[in-house]
Amino acid sequence: MTTIPSMTTIPLTLGPLIAEGFVIKRSGVYWLCEDGHHCRPNEVVAYCNIGLERLARQRSGVLPMADEQELQVAFATPCAGYLRIDAGKSPGGYLNAYGLHTWQTDDVLAHLELDPDQTSLIANAGRLALLFVAGRRMSGLADVDIGFLPGWHSRSRAWWSDQSNSLMTLLCLGICDAAGLIRGNRVPFIEFFEGSTGSTQLVYIPDHPLVPCAPILLEQLLRTNADKQAIAADIAAGLAGSRTPASADDWLFAGALLSSLEHSPIVDSYDILTPMGLQRQGPADAVLLSLSAETQSVLRHKKLGYSLQMLRHRQAAAGPAVRAWLTSAFEPVKRTIDDIRHDYRRLIEAVASKTGARVMILNRMSSSGFEDILSYAPFDAPLRETLENIAAKEMNLMLHDLADECEFSIIDVDSIAAYLGGAEHLPDGIHHSGAMQAMLRAQIFDIIRGSAPPSPQSGNFELNRKISHSV
Amino acid sequence: MLCDLHLPKINPNMTSAIVECVYADPGTLLKAGDKLFDLSVDLSSGYSQYCPPISYFRVVVRERVWLQKLFVKAGDSCDVGEILALFSSEQAEPLDAAPARPIRVANAGIAHHQGLWSANHQ
Repeated sequence: MTTIPSMTTIPLTLGPLIAEGFVIKRSGVYWLCEDGHHCRPNEVVAYCNIGLERLARQRSGVLPMADEQELQVAFATPCAGYLRIDAGKSPGGYLNAYGLHTWQTDDVLAHLELDPDQTSLIANAGRLALLFVAGRRMSGLADVDIGFLPGWHSRSRAWWSDQSNSLMTLLCLGICDAAGLIRGNRVPFIEFFEGSTGSTQLVYIPDHPLVPCAPILLEQLLRTNADKQAIAADIAAGLAGSRTPASADDWLFAGALLSSLEHSPIVDSYDILTPMGLQRQGPADAVLLSLSAETQSVLRHKKLGYSLQMLRHRQAAAGPAVRAWLTSAFEPVKRTIDDIRHDYRRLIEAVASKTGARVMILNRMSSSGFEDILSYAPFDAPLRETLENIAAKEMNLMLHDLADECEFSIIDVDSIAAYLGGAEHLPDGIHHSGAMQAMLRAQIFDIIRGSAPPSPQSGNFELNRKISHSV
Repeated sequence: MLCDLHLPKINPNMTSAIVECVYADPGTLLKAGDKLFDLSVDLSSGYSQYCPPISYFRVVVRERVWLQKLFVKAGDSCDVGEILALFSSEQAEPLDAAPARPIRVANAGIAHHQGLWSANHQ
């Protein structure tokens, strides 16, 4: 006779959320899975929009997070079990989107039939874990009103609500290799957070229109208001004086470009919603950069002297007037490896001086199974300007030389790609597989938690540890 | 003896490539180490909503051969396995026989450069 274990079912409640002076409003619930879905611990299963409404007679002043028009909270199950979705939480249509409900600590969204091995966790199980996401729109027009963190954002971020006393902010200023780690490729930020309940806020800045390479980030950090005014006037004059009439694409591109040039994300501060109340976080504690963003040349403005670099496929978004302005007002300036090292050193020192943030740099994959080079004789010297893998090796070595001059951490893409197999996990040298992203995230976790030494060799040590554990 | 070159599957995920540069003309004697083609491989197959995973490769010959026929020019898109060129071991050789084997080449990942077809036409 088979004994059927009794099922323990618990209600999943919203839990506390406080913003002094405000009523917290929420929308209906958008479910990301079906009723009956088997959930992992920490799995994000639903989300809703939220907003802050001032209490009566307190309706003046600036709202917190007023510049972040996307503000949502995702709900994660606290332990494993089968989800039973309560009816009536999702009225549908626009009624699901608007903040018609007041946040109530004891509101029950669903029930969870706990897996037998989870029943010992009942004491902590009843509350949904809350993952907040916020997006600052590139333009107020970019109001896609469907989905999780939808739209076009100049900055997006996420944080767990219940760890905010010691929240550590990681700012992603990389290109695709970094974006995939931090923002993920499935649902924004979820892949990173499902792997960690740690007290981290992630902030993502897109790699367009500007590539976040060292000279551009440094200039953003040091730019004065007078500099910004001169740049804005020059862009306006460039478009207005263009022989080709500026198109809608030109103005949109120029607006996004100006927005990037005028703002340094490194010194941004953040409002945080938590169960204990609204909190203000200072600038990021750690900054993640991509070595792949350091191209062998940048554009330099002939008159104003500032730098520009854009990914080729992004330049296609510009109209003819912007392209003509880029050609006439800028000149390409080659960067040697020493130039790049110098730019990095100045940036790392400036970041340390302005905010004290720790810098982490993703190095580059420097080998390829797709090559069968028997002799370097056919390739033009210097080889780093011809062969990608030589360039990557020299750049990776440069990071180690730089470590003698200033403090930062290397996230060792090169070692992990070699370990996992580049052909399968990094087929074009920049876009990682999910398995590779998970290993790189683990390195980042270890460094920001301080469990890996903040030396440039830390990545190798950590990889060795993971390899020895997995073999 | 005739040899041919078909578009190799340089990357296991690729289905096609664009011919970015052609470095030799028919009737030319090529020696080991001479450049033949630059190719670009776009793993998104041109589906450009996202950052395109494009890699650039150079094809270099590894033996002494006469380039007899080119079947492609810069800007052409070719499928994996499509014939790119026909070669012979001697200058004057009938071209109606079946190729005896593929030409020996080396492939190397290269940096984007301004001589590429796509740098000037896109």
